[in-house]
Amino acid sequence: MSHSEIKKPEDITVPPSSFLAKLPMLGGILAVAGLGATLGSAFGENKGRAMFAYLFAFESVLAIALGGLGWLLLDHTTRAGWGVVVRRFVETTAATLPVFALLWLPIGFLGFHELYPWSHEHDAILAKKAWFLAPGLWYARSFIYLAVWSALGWFLYSTSVKQDSLGDNHAERDRLVHLVRKVCAGGIFLYGVTLSFGAVDWLMSLQPHWYSTIFGVYYFAAGILAFFAFVTLMTMVAQSSGVMKTAITTEHFHDLGKFVFGYTIFWAYIAFSQFVLIWYANIPEETEFFMVRMEGGWQYISYGLPVLHFFVPFLYLLSRKVKRNRTLLGVGAVWTLVMHCVDLYWLVMPNYGAHGEGHHEPHLSPSFLDFTALIGVFGVFLAVYGVLLKRNKTVAINDPRLDESLVHENY
Amino acid sequence: MITGTADTLPDDPKIRGDVVLPDPTHGREALVRGTHDFHSITEMVCRVNEAPLKATPKPFLFGLALAASLLAMFGGYIGYLLWEGPGIWGNNNPVGWAWDIVNFVFWVGIGHAGTLISAILYLFRQKWRTSINRYAEAMTIFAVIAASSCVALHTGRVWMDYYLFPLPNQMGLWPNFRSPLEWDVFAVNTYFLVSLLFWFTGLVPDFATLRDRATVRWRQVFYGALSLGWRGSMRHWVTYEKAYQILAAFSAPLVLSVHTIVSFDFAVSQLPGWHTTIFPPYFVAGAVFSGFAMVQTLMIPARHWLGLKDLVTAKHIENINKIILVTGSLVGYAYAMEFFVAAYSGNDYEGFTFLNRMGGPYWWAYWTMISCNVLTPQLFWFRKIRTSATWSFVLAFFVNIGMWFERFVITVTSLHRDALVSSWDYFVPVTEIFYLLGTFGLFFTLFLLFIRFFPVIAISEVKSVMPQANPHWEGYEHGEHHAAATASAGGH
Repeated sequence: MSHSEIKKPEDITVPPSSFLAKLPMLGGILAVAGLGATLGSAFGENKGRAMFAYLFAFESVLAIALGGLGWLLLDHTTRAGWGVVVRRFVETTAATLPVFALLWLPIGFLGFHELYPWSHEHDAILAKKAWFLAPGLWYARSFIYLAVWSALGWFLYSTSVKQDSLGDNHAERDRLVHLVRKVCAGGIFLYGVTLSFGAVDWLMSLQPHWYSTIFGVYYFAAGILAFFAFVTLMTMVAQSSGVMKTAITTEHFHDLGKFVFGYTIFWAYIAFSQFVLIWYANIPEETEFFMVRMEGGWQYISYGLPVLHFFVPFLYLLSRKVKRNRTLLGVGAVWTLVMHCVDLYWLVMPNYGAHGEGHHEPHLSPSFLDFTALIGVFGVFLAVYGVLLKRNKTVAINDPRLDESLVHENY
Repeated sequence: MITGTADTLPDDPKIRGDVVLPDPTHGREALVRGTHDFHSITEMVCRVNEAPLKATPKPFLFGLALAASLLAMFGGYIGYLLWEGPGIWGNNNPVGWAWDIVNFVFWVGIGHAGTLISAILYLFRQKWRTSINRYAEAMTIFAVIAASSCVALHTGRVWMDYYLFPLPNQMGLWPNFRSPLEWDVFAVNTYFLVSLLFWFTGLVPDFATLRDRATVRWRQVFYGALSLGWRGSMRHWVTYEKAYQILAAFSAPLVLSVHTIVSFDFAVSQLPGWHTTIFPPYFVAGAVFSGFAMVQTLMIPARHWLGLKDLVTAKHIENINKIILVTGSLVGYAYAMEFFVAAYSGNDYEGFTFLNRMGGPYWWAYWTMISCNVLTPQLFWFRKIRTSATWSFVLAFFVNIGMWFERFVITVTSLHRDALVSSWDYFVPVTEIFYLLGTFGLFFTLFLLFIRFFPVIAISEVKSVMPQANPHWEGYEHGEHHAAATASAGGH
């Protein structure tokens, strides 16, 4: 197919009166209301509860942005061509990562004591872990994670944007393409290490006696799954706002749907691996994790997750028809995002109220704070996302693989 | 490293495939080099199979004789094993599992590249897979056969092996369905069956090609029977493509499930060093890693001797090496995560096991594993190394060694010092080396016979990724149906 036949899309700016253009305002309202209510409570007697709600919200939304970063790293490294038309939405997702460094501050400086029992409690097991779970080291590591993610996310976004204005300067464009490929290949390593240890430091250490080697992979699986659901929805929102109405075709949605489907399986595989090995070996220091999630109402979520976060979306997204129908795929993506939040809620919240050694009895008691925290953090994310998206073209118009992406077909 | 551009490729097919082309920013590198049309592809691949039996190259016969004599030795060894029992091994108390299981996991792991290339790369529409999928799949089949020979023979009373299957019997004895060892029987059998079907399905059109070109009676009958009446009609192709896709979709989860269950053999226990939650994905990554290394080990000599460098180019070698780099690093991640969590957990037994791996009596096995599996593949960060056939062959060989040692480290070093200090013992192999060599004899005999009689490249699939397969190919637009495609035409 000769390249002259391929027409580059022209509807690549966010129309001023569209829904997409209002994202910053919408996100801003959600952010102010949500964060105001949550962090306001954090200064009252509900501080512990509010901080747990905040951590849940932070980790849920951070997972989406990190998933976006992961996709970009893989996409450039594997020289993928199909996704160029949707890549700007992904780059914008990853470009929000510096904001998460700010959003992390309440965890590090407001709720550290309430969230992490090892920060002030002492027992024989914690004494053996003091070489790693020490506040100073924890802050240093957190700083490294956030710096690495911010730098990678912002670099990939700004390099791609820079490419837009290069016009016919192919030499410079190709130089940037090769630079990005090199950074991404190395970035995968930094990403893998920082994401895994980030999950250990911020989530696994909520239950400081417990350990699981697969935990970092679990958080990665959750994140990249949520990200694909998010970018599918964002692409739909963009199209309904009049952006790239013809350039992004059913073929691209089909592929996004395949990724949501595939990572649903991957998440279930990782979750099942963790569960079945701990259940089968039945060693007390490991089963603790599932024990607290098997009482006080949490058991319903524990039983619900495999059904609602795996079997239902698996059977639903299995069909080619569903993946190629925007409404049906959109339903699947919303479902996946909701279940992602439930999953993270289930990871974080049962640790609330745990003190010292011995057994604590968790209770599933949702609070309005969980909701306000989620819309607050998500609002900040959306607002920044909207601002960044509006500033640039909605597609990497100068990407040398754009033509390939425009005529992409599943066969 | 010879570098060049697509327009300045040399004419000599002996070196053309080794030329390293620049990483393109747009368009894709042509997967077939040289001025080939469909017919010349058929000629190139079939030439190997169609040489008269008497004209079989001497080096090939020598290789086959070597492999077959190892296989014969294996036969004798099995007889000795059946006669004497597993007492001919160095297994002791507490090391009840040793080379038998190590060999099994080693071979099953090698099988994984075949399924990954044929199924997962197919589902991801990775066109470069077409040049290597056939012998990767063959490798899978033979590796699983070698693995089965290990696992079937390690049971002690081999004549009771049928109890592994849930056969109704008058004593009402059933296998323990709650044991991952039993799941293993099902997993490996399913895997073998599906891989075999997949391989054979892909072979049918190519068997038909060989049948149609046959000049002697036995070849007509042999390939005629294997090609199942294939006529190449549109209906046949539609059915074929559907079957292929369905088998690919079935095989994809098998890539995960088989080695996941192999990992369960260890990880469901409570043994430090065996029980850790990352085992399933870590074993799968390790299996793919070892499988691709074995593909590289087999493919690099094959493309050289069989004159297939136009089909298996430096680009293919580079892609395989990238997968080796990724999976090797994933394996390194798992080693590091296990080590970290052993320290983080504060569990003394976990901690001891991992320190004992590094500095205990089997320190040499551990450091062989680390240097071969984690450090060696890091050399593939350099493009010069990962595009060089020689380097790739050498490094892939190290990976093969490292992955055998990985299973040795997991099995033997975790067992030899258990919780009761008085029962510690040092495992020394007695006759096991013949066991391992015998499985290599089995594997290579089958593989060499495959190369001689079956098309080693998926002829019809390679054609489908050539520019001529595109209805809009410029050669057709000018009415030159037989015009040679230049390498620079590229597919879109």
